[in-house]
Amino acid sequence: MRAEPDSTADESTRRRLGEFRALMVISLLMTESVSEDQIMDLAASSAPGLGPWRIDGYSFTDSGWRPGLAGSAAPPPCGLARQLAVLGDLSGQVEVPGRGWAWAYPLRGIDGLLGHLVASCDREPPAEQRFAIQVMAQQTGVAVSNARLHARERATAAELAAANAALAETVSSLRRNMDIHDRLTRVAVSGEGQTGIANALHELTGMPVVIEDRYGNLSAWAGPGRPEPYPKESFAKREQLLRRLKRDGKPVREGERLTVLASPRSDVVGVLALIDPEHTADKADLVALEHGATVLSMELARLRGIADTELRLRRDLVHDLLSGTDDDSALVRAEALDYDLRRPHRVVIAEVKGRTRAYDSLLSAVRRATRQMHLDGLFDAWSGNVAMVTAGQADWEQLRRAVASYVGRQVEIGVGGLCARPSELPRSLREAGLALRLQKTLLPGTGACEYPKLGIFRMLAAIPDLTDVDRFVREWLGSLLDYDQRRKAELVHTLTQYLEHGGNYDATAAKLSVHKSTLKYRLQRIRDLTGLELNDPDVHFNLQLATRAWGTLQALERER
Amino acid sequence: MTGPIPSGIAEIGLVPGSHVCAFYRGDADRDRLLSGYLSAGLTAGDKCICIVDSARTAKRLKALPGARAEPGPADGQLDIHLPGSTYLANGEFSTGDMLTFWTEGMLKAELEGYSFFRLAGEMTWSLRDVPGVGHLIEYESELNRVTSSHPVVVLCLYDLDLFSGEVVVNVVKTHPQVLVQGILVENPYYIGPDEFLKSASI
Repeated sequence: MRAEPDSTADESTRRRLGEFRALMVISLLMTESVSEDQIMDLAASSAPGLGPWRIDGYSFTDSGWRPGLAGSAAPPPCGLARQLAVLGDLSGQVEVPGRGWAWAYPLRGIDGLLGHLVASCDREPPAEQRFAIQVMAQQTGVAVSNARLHARERATAAELAAANAALAETVSSLRRNMDIHDRLTRVAVSGEGQTGIANALHELTGMPVVIEDRYGNLSAWAGPGRPEPYPKESFAKREQLLRRLKRDGKPVREGERLTVLASPRSDVVGVLALIDPEHTADKADLVALEHGATVLSMELARLRGIADTELRLRRDLVHDLLSGTDDDSALVRAEALDYDLRRPHRVVIAEVKGRTRAYDSLLSAVRRATRQMHLDGLFDAWSGNVAMVTAGQADWEQLRRAVASYVGRQVEIGVGGLCARPSELPRSLREAGLALRLQKTLLPGTGACEYPKLGIFRMLAAIPDLTDVDRFVREWLGSLLDYDQRRKAELVHTLTQYLEHGGNYDATAAKLSVHKSTLKYRLQRIRDLTGLELNDPDVHFNLQLATRAWGTLQALERER
Repeated sequence: MTGPIPSGIAEIGLVPGSHVCAFYRGDADRDRLLSGYLSAGLTAGDKCICIVDSARTAKRLKALPGARAEPGPADGQLDIHLPGSTYLANGEFSTGDMLTFWTEGMLKAELEGYSFFRLAGEMTWSLRDVPGVGHLIEYESELNRVTSSHPVVVLCLYDLDLFSGEVVVNVVKTHPQVLVQGILVENPYYIGPDEFLKSASI
């Protein structure tokens, strides 16, 4: 059983001792509190239980007056600040209007004087109660000082926590960036190509990823939701997007896509995009996207480099084949380019009529036309024209028409004979060139000219010594050639066309673009100058042979 | 039983007849004190009678280990009440009625075979504006009379966030023991019930 109240102490002493016990408990409660307001409210609200005095308020050196209980709007007693300034860090009497007794007690903390506690009573309280007020002031000062210290420590701890959180976020961000860097670098060096880049970016962001070429064609897709068929925007809209991506130089949001440009050089363009309909992409996703664009740029540059190199090697090979090279070397180089040169090949030459510096568009047109006709071959520039070495057999006139339609101008084509070995290709080149020239001079409008089908022209061109041929031409056409030279006339050409058209006046006049009477006049002039009767079969044969021989000589002359 | 018994709070021992006033801050602190105090009583086989100020707290205490024992001698070891049926029965507070409530509770438990009682009361009900709450300190003082004559320990709980310093001072003055921050402060100079009534009537 608990002890009975101490009967040895008289009531008054016991009451005072009980009050000090209560004061001690109040002190304990103030000490454990970390709130200044809580401490001051507890002290002020305790006073009525300890005696007839009250705490009017607290005057702090740094924050000024604070009424005894929070929420009270009681202003500081008039002139209090001046009186406290006189007191300094001592206690002493102060004037509080309407109160018989008022006293200011210093509030001291670890860092020195915090301010004063002002207590008052209707009349001066007895000594033991003044002692209780003094103890209350001392305990309040210590508790407020502790609370401020705690507040500072909490603030410091909060700052540290914030700094740690910021640091942790930075570390996390760096780690994520490193992961992004590592993953995409692995893709870059592993040769996984555009599909690998799309897959890696999808793994890093969790979003579907698309890679397109400059025209909006799909190059790679990773993740779910790939549209079938793949949509393609208009040329104008695409160009607008590319211009914006180039101008901004950073990811651009276009509807549900976050898009960035990958362009290692002006003529190589790729577009990389995250499909983000919910707009959930964060900073790390953007870093991954931009890093992905860098890796894609490297990949596109690599691919273009390979293409350029292969193109250059192919051109070098074609050039050497046309100029003359040994079979073994040519076959090895062709094999390196994955091209089968062991098949019989021929040379085909295409020329744009009346236009210079049209090589690029002509080459592009020839490539396109050959692709369309499923012809494979090697291409190069040759004397301003395009030379193709091909194993294919085609309707060369169809090829000529296709090329002409792509170029938008008249195109002539000469086709050389087949060669069993690469070292023979210079012959095919000469034949193609000869066919081209004969086509232009003797056979205009006859379409693509194939050397193997040139008949007598081919026989004449094959004669090693042309002295007798030349003499034969002079014998039959000498007077006309001299006349043409003297008078800048076209009698030989007129005669040639007349004979090639079997003596048909209408067809010949149409071919020469002259009136029939002009043709008849010219033919009469030819009869007069040569003294020959054109209708005589023997004369007709010899004149036709002579005109064809003349054309062949002309073509061979230009070859030299 | 005359020696100290474990209170279940911070390894503090209480002698039978102790009337302890405990100060705490907030519900979590209250639950910690009550759980420890009642769990120790349930473990020791004491009859525990507790008054809390909300059904939510009552529900939590009913979940204490041992509070819902299988039917048998220990069944009903913990009685939990709310102020509406105890402190404020009939809509007002009466010191006499409450002392009778505790006394009858202990007598009933004694008949059930319990030899020691552990009482607890959450005092926030006294903050309500109802008749009789002004007699709180008188009640606390009179309760000392009951505890001195029974094998019992009593824990009165005061939330410092809600009660003023004046109540704290008066409670300390009328309680022989006060529990503050895990420290049991003895007050041999507490005001006994007779003295309190005398000073109150002056």
